[in-house]
Amino acid sequence: MAGVVFDKVNKVYDNGFHAVHDLDLEVQDGEFMVLVGPSGCGKSTALRMVAGLEDISSGRLLIGDKVVNTVPSKDRDIAMVFQSYALYPHMSVRDNIGYGLRLRKTPKDEITRLVDAAAAKLDLTDYLDRRPKQLSGGQRQRVAMGRAIVRRPQVFLMDEPLSNLDAKLRGQMRTEIAALQLELGVTTIYVTHDQVEAMTMGDRIALMKDGLLQQVSEPQEMYENPANIFVAGFIGSPPMNMALARLVRDGDGLVVDFGSQRVAVDPARVAELGELENWVDREVVVGVRHEDMEDAALERLDDGRQVSATVRLVEALGSELQVHFTFDAKAAETEHTRALAAENQDEASASATLLGHEGVRWIASFSPRSKVRVGDRIAVHIDSARMHFFDPQTSAAIRSRVPAGA
Amino acid sequence: MADTTTTPVVLGSAQGSWFARVGWRHLVAIAAVLFSLFPIVFVVSAAFNPLGTLSSTSLVPTRLSTENFSNLLTRTEFRSWFLNSVVIAVVSAFAAVFLSALAAYAFSRYRFKGRRPGLMFLLLVQMFPQFLAIVTIYIMFTTITELYPRIGFNTYWGLILLYMGGALGANTWLMKGFFDTIPKDLDESAKVDGATHTQVFFGVILPLVTPILAVTGLLSFIQTINEFLMANVFLTAQDAKTLAVGLFGLVQGDRANTNFGMFAAGTLLTAIPTVVLFYTLQRYIVGGLTAGAVKG
Repeated sequence: MAGVVFDKVNKVYDNGFHAVHDLDLEVQDGEFMVLVGPSGCGKSTALRMVAGLEDISSGRLLIGDKVVNTVPSKDRDIAMVFQSYALYPHMSVRDNIGYGLRLRKTPKDEITRLVDAAAAKLDLTDYLDRRPKQLSGGQRQRVAMGRAIVRRPQVFLMDEPLSNLDAKLRGQMRTEIAALQLELGVTTIYVTHDQVEAMTMGDRIALMKDGLLQQVSEPQEMYENPANIFVAGFIGSPPMNMALARLVRDGDGLVVDFGSQRVAVDPARVAELGELENWVDREVVVGVRHEDMEDAALERLDDGRQVSATVRLVEALGSELQVHFTFDAKAAETEHTRALAAENQDEASASATLLGHEGVRWIASFSPRSKVRVGDRIAVHIDSARMHFFDPQTSAAIRSRVPAGA
Repeated sequence: MADTTTTPVVLGSAQGSWFARVGWRHLVAIAAVLFSLFPIVFVVSAAFNPLGTLSSTSLVPTRLSTENFSNLLTRTEFRSWFLNSVVIAVVSAFAAVFLSALAAYAFSRYRFKGRRPGLMFLLLVQMFPQFLAIVTIYIMFTTITELYPRIGFNTYWGLILLYMGGALGANTWLMKGFFDTIPKDLDESAKVDGATHTQVFFGVILPLVTPILAVTGLLSFIQTINEFLMANVFLTAQDAKTLAVGLFGLVQGDRANTNFGMFAAGTLLTAIPTVVLFYTLQRYIVGGLTAGAVKG
């Protein structure tokens, strides 16, 4: 087994498209690394470079301690699961799974034993003599997995392996793949555009945008301390709420001034984000996660951390209410927010039709005890101890320290 | 249609009598069948007519005998012609299919300098009929025959070489189109599984393109076995001739058409290899071989 190291890896296609910029990434031995990002961000290209299916324009790629830039795929000891599964249609499931072993001149009875073991692990034993076209989508996906695990390679590469499955099966396979990887302990690089897959499966996540690595960290760390506006908006569903505001000093503490209303920033947060002091009397992008807000009517306290807002839509999810509200503030507009808007085009245009007037539209998760209705004027309490701040020019997070792994 | 108040509304081709709707198509079909069967019936009849001349042949033979066949087999070099034709056609069809498949794979899968010009060039060359070059080829092979008689005039190999060159262009284009429909993921998957280019080609791609191999093989075979012009220039010795050349020799300069019966018998026998090949390859000409390979 071995880790994978990208050392200043670049990919420039013949047509001049620069797909991957100076990628520096170290995947530890046995780690499950998820490459995530919107389509066209270079994540698949990066994966295909590890697989040896794309040339590396510059930089070094190491598997274990060996530079593999010019090593052909077949000598890299890797296995790949394709988005399309890419099963050999003229071979039975048994032959599909055993193909790599046969190419390596493994003895026949050894192949049979290994294929049977892999099939048992994936519940494919009854289907070994079938052809791929006789299988359902989920079974085909398992065969593709079987083909990868049977060889016990140094590295698994998975290119959106679940995106062709329906939602239910996807959830199930997600758990199975994660469990399988844990059991086998094989270094895995997993490409997806789905942030839920990234959050649930990865030991660590590497988020890319336009060929540039934005942040590498553990899922929870990425959720709680996003490095910039794009990461904040991409990870989490619904995405982080943002608005442009002015940071002003009020007595001892700092206050976020949205224009017509102000929210006090928790002193603990100010202490945490040492850099924040430099932003007093300047504009910042304020970010608030949906779960860090609550219906102020339920809290029964006014600590100056509320905004008054108008409810636009209430989605009851049983365990919580997702409340879409608008309030008077300026929308944040940076290169990153535009990229996010393009990414969530459908949702954005849907909310645009509902919006049409004052301020920004945020989504909050309220307790189901909340009685808010569409059209109500409500007070929304914001947990400002968990507020995020970003530089409106560079989109970078305002922090006091550089978190591990970034 | 007389009483429009009681009959349901009928539109378009549903109107009119049975003949106006369907019947006339049968008539057209029957006429077409008769038209195309006529020469075949005529040849069959001539082959079994012991008189064996063109003028004595009628659609229904007056007497039946296999005299023409036995004469053909005993009094002419028909057996060598038949063997020559089959060997040349099989070898050149096989070689042409194989080489075209290699070329098509490269053109379909790799991106290299000169790929598009190469494809265009193949097409361009194909547009000139081969007999334009016949004088050049003749002169070239005169020299070759002097230096390397084994691949010169009156040999299999010389002619096979010539046929292969002629068929490569069209076959490559035909196959490239088919290769393009095989998902590239399959190649890549096999590569990651540990296959070399050769193993990918033979183990994964070739089994999936059998329909086009069968089609091009069949077309090359038919083209080669019926080819006359080149073969006539190339093969002059009696025992080196192919069926087309040999049979032509039978009726050539035969004023009284006395060999016409034998000629007809020969053409019937010539059809056998093609028919056999067609029936053998038919089962490979099927669709949907890549079903289940990729999804989405």
